[in-house]
Amino acid sequence: MGSVPPRRPSDDIRDLVGADVKPDELERLRHADALLRKVPPPPAVVPASLGAAVMALARPQRRLLAPWRLSIAAAVVVAVFFFALGAWVGTDDFGERAAIPMESTSEVPGASAVIRLGEADASGNWPLRLEVRGLPALPPRAYYVLWLARDGEYGGTCGTFRVGDDGSADVEMNASYRLEDFDAWVVTARHPDDPPEVESRWLLEADVRPRRESDARAQPRAG
Amino acid sequence: MRPVLPRDMRVLGMSTAEKDDILIERVGRGDVAAFEELYRRFARPVLGMALRRLRDTGRAEDAAQETFAAVWRSARSYRRERGSGTAWLYAVARHAIIDRARRRTEAAAEVSEEASPDAQPEERAESSWLAWRVHSALEQLPERERVVLELAYWSDLSQSEIASYLDVPLGTVKTRTRAGLARLGGLLQEVQE
Repeated sequence: MGSVPPRRPSDDIRDLVGADVKPDELERLRHADALLRKVPPPPAVVPASLGAAVMALARPQRRLLAPWRLSIAAAVVVAVFFFALGAWVGTDDFGERAAIPMESTSEVPGASAVIRLGEADASGNWPLRLEVRGLPALPPRAYYVLWLARDGEYGGTCGTFRVGDDGSADVEMNASYRLEDFDAWVVTARHPDDPPEVESRWLLEADVRPRRESDARAQPRAG
Repeated sequence: MRPVLPRDMRVLGMSTAEKDDILIERVGRGDVAAFEELYRRFARPVLGMALRRLRDTGRAEDAAQETFAAVWRSARSYRRERGSGTAWLYAVARHAIIDRARRRTEAAAEVSEEASPDAQPEERAESSWLAWRVHSALEQLPERERVVLELAYWSDLSQSEIASYLDVPLGTVKTRTRAGLARLGGLLQEVQE
């Protein structure tokens, strides 16, 4: 329609619409007629491909541009990244020397933990990762302590931690001691208001002597 | 009694400006159905303006696509109190088309939309706006009326030829022309000739 010079319709609008038109209606028809004569033709057709392209722009973007969905997606990406990073660090590049399973005492039946012990540096720092499952969540300000014992007595602290509502925690710690000077890893719970003389009950324990990695690797991680 | 078609309801139910405003606001809330309706209503006016300015089918389609992408992106920023939805859409389309025109590598100035190559910028702008309003209003007519009007005014066919082309009686062509012009006149009553 656009490329051919238009042959305008008859100048007398009554030739187009018939002679039986009342004057007031005729005035309105003339207004529309005049406007149509002043403008160029619209394109005859709109390619279907244009409609498809336009709607394709809208539909996916609706999902992608919703801010709350974007936030969730970002959180998932971050979580996956750190999960993957954790798995990566926790195995090969952590330099894991041994995986030491901890056993629960009667205080927390069903709880378990693994100490993943890395290679000591030249200064005698033993990096370790504690993976805990099944410990009860503590009241505010209370915390768990991983420490080393000798002959059943306190020897040195490796770090503190709390667990989530699911009873689990994966925590990086460090033991800056000569491990051969101790005979047990111990986890107990403390509260800042506890008097120092109060003896905490042992919740988890393990021999200090490193066992082979295959002894316990999968246990807490599966939890 | 003749059933009322959705298209008729759109025309009779509220003014064009109000309807466009509401559609844009719905698009701003991510309403894909409203976006489809907006596209259906404005695809030809947008593409028509792009074709007249760019004179290249491919680039005109690109500009039209960019227009609707911009509408989808920025409809949330539309404020009814600042102006009509029709005017807002026109501005979005015009910007997209001008942007596309500026990307031309070959030396070619923006072409006039006027029949007269001597038209001044103000006249061109006025003519462009008028074409936009008329073409947008045409899109709101029932299909049977719109087709007859387009054939009557831009096809170089006589009414008898239109009747033959559409395979309808000549009286039907006149009736549809009359109804279409009346409806169009109502939609464009605020537009000055």
